[in-house]
Amino acid sequence: MQKIKVSLENIRAKIEDFYDEREWHFITLNGVALSEEKTEVQWIFSKYESLDDVVIYYAEIEQNEVVPSIVDMIPSAIISQRELVDMFGIEVEGSEKGLYLDKDSLQMPLSGCSL
Amino acid sequence: MKKTINIPLGSQHISLLEPVRFRFECENEKIVAVDSDVGFVHRGIERACTTKFKFDGVGYVVARVCGLCAITHSLSYTAGIEKLLDAEITLKAKYLRVLLLELDRIHSHMLCLSHTCENAGFEAMFMRIMGDRELIMEIQELLTGNRVQFDFISIGGVNRDLSPEVAKIILERLKIVREKTLGYMDEFKNNWSLSLKFKGIGTLSLEEAYRFNAIGPLARASGLKIDVRNEIDYLPFSEIGFVMQTQSGGDINSRNIVRLNEIINSIEMCENVINGLPEGEIFTKIKGKPKGEVVVRFEAPRGELMYYIKGNGKPILERVRIKTPTFACIPAFSHIFVGQNYADAPAILASFDPCLSCTAK
Repeated sequence: MQKIKVSLENIRAKIEDFYDEREWHFITLNGVALSEEKTEVQWIFSKYESLDDVVIYYAEIEQNEVVPSIVDMIPSAIISQRELVDMFGIEVEGSEKGLYLDKDSLQMPLSGCSL
Repeated sequence: MKKTINIPLGSQHISLLEPVRFRFECENEKIVAVDSDVGFVHRGIERACTTKFKFDGVGYVVARVCGLCAITHSLSYTAGIEKLLDAEITLKAKYLRVLLLELDRIHSHMLCLSHTCENAGFEAMFMRIMGDRELIMEIQELLTGNRVQFDFISIGGVNRDLSPEVAKIILERLKIVREKTLGYMDEFKNNWSLSLKFKGIGTLSLEEAYRFNAIGPLARASGLKIDVRNEIDYLPFSEIGFVMQTQSGGDINSRNIVRLNEIINSIEMCENVINGLPEGEIFTKIKGKPKGEVVVRFEAPRGELMYYIKGNGKPILERVRIKTPTFACIPAFSHIFVGQNYADAPAILASFDPCLSCTAK
């Protein structure tokens, strides 16, 4: 497993450079609460027909930062972006709340915040 | 001016036994847009895993994510913890894990095929496959003590050994299931209701499979060579006889054929496990508390299942992330519906073999 740290501003450019849909399989987006204010957002990929070749791009973000969307490059990312919005209370460009929670819910069950 | 009407499918619907709702925007009979809602039964299992349970009990919690692929869930979690603890289990335990994993795949594929028959209006075939599926359910009960929620896998190995008597019964029953599956193959290839009717319906091309990151039988039916059993060496899949099954049609019929071929391959793998079962212990005592992070992937019946686990050396984990196959395929599902006739929607949906219990974990 290879883990590469990227700033939030550069994440789209990095993924655009790296991602070839015939070579890399996008697995999912993931979030890990680091503290009440900070969350690590991960973009996880694996290489087709390759043994245990997993690459994670990650960025540490503040709760009020907006995560750029990658749906134009990887359409299947929409569902995990929406999950991130619901579970961590993070704003992701173009992704609305309401996949699992009510649209007006104040909860963010997996974030570091107590709400 | 074109007029469209919205038709809901679910959250409770006669053709759909899972709590998911699709809203189809239709122009006459054609679906022109789809909206989906998968969040009816979210259970907060990821949060429970990092707040309510110690790491050595979480394997039994995640087995409850899904009744159909319980083994894949507990196996993925357990393998992750074993990696974090740098622990090696015996070859015999690995073989027994493969046995259960493949039995899970067989009965899950049989369930999907039977639902496909039901959606084709072929009730007799539906009941025939469901009846035959009991042979596998009974094998699982013999092996693990339970039909559905088996707590067979534990950190360090497995909880029950395979006795020679049970091994003999399993081999006898697998032989019967193989004969039955070859019979289904004939029906699915030659019966009008199950073959011609489903050819060219609900198609996902290879290009679309790549674009939407399709996985599992959905991807392999389009010719995309993705099967996690081919991409990990944690369990000895290749020496046990795993062969990736693909088709090129990408339609309902191709998905059915992929599943049937996978049942045959899984039966061969189970037979190879039993006939070549190594001597040795089934359990290795493992000490320590997980520290660090790991990504583990396994091939569940519906496709790639991923676990991300992060521990900090304490009994309670920091993060358990479960990425289930159906969840990852929802965008591909929605895409496939567009351009299809509304009347085919239930059959297309059944061919995806969606698991909302997994999705709303």
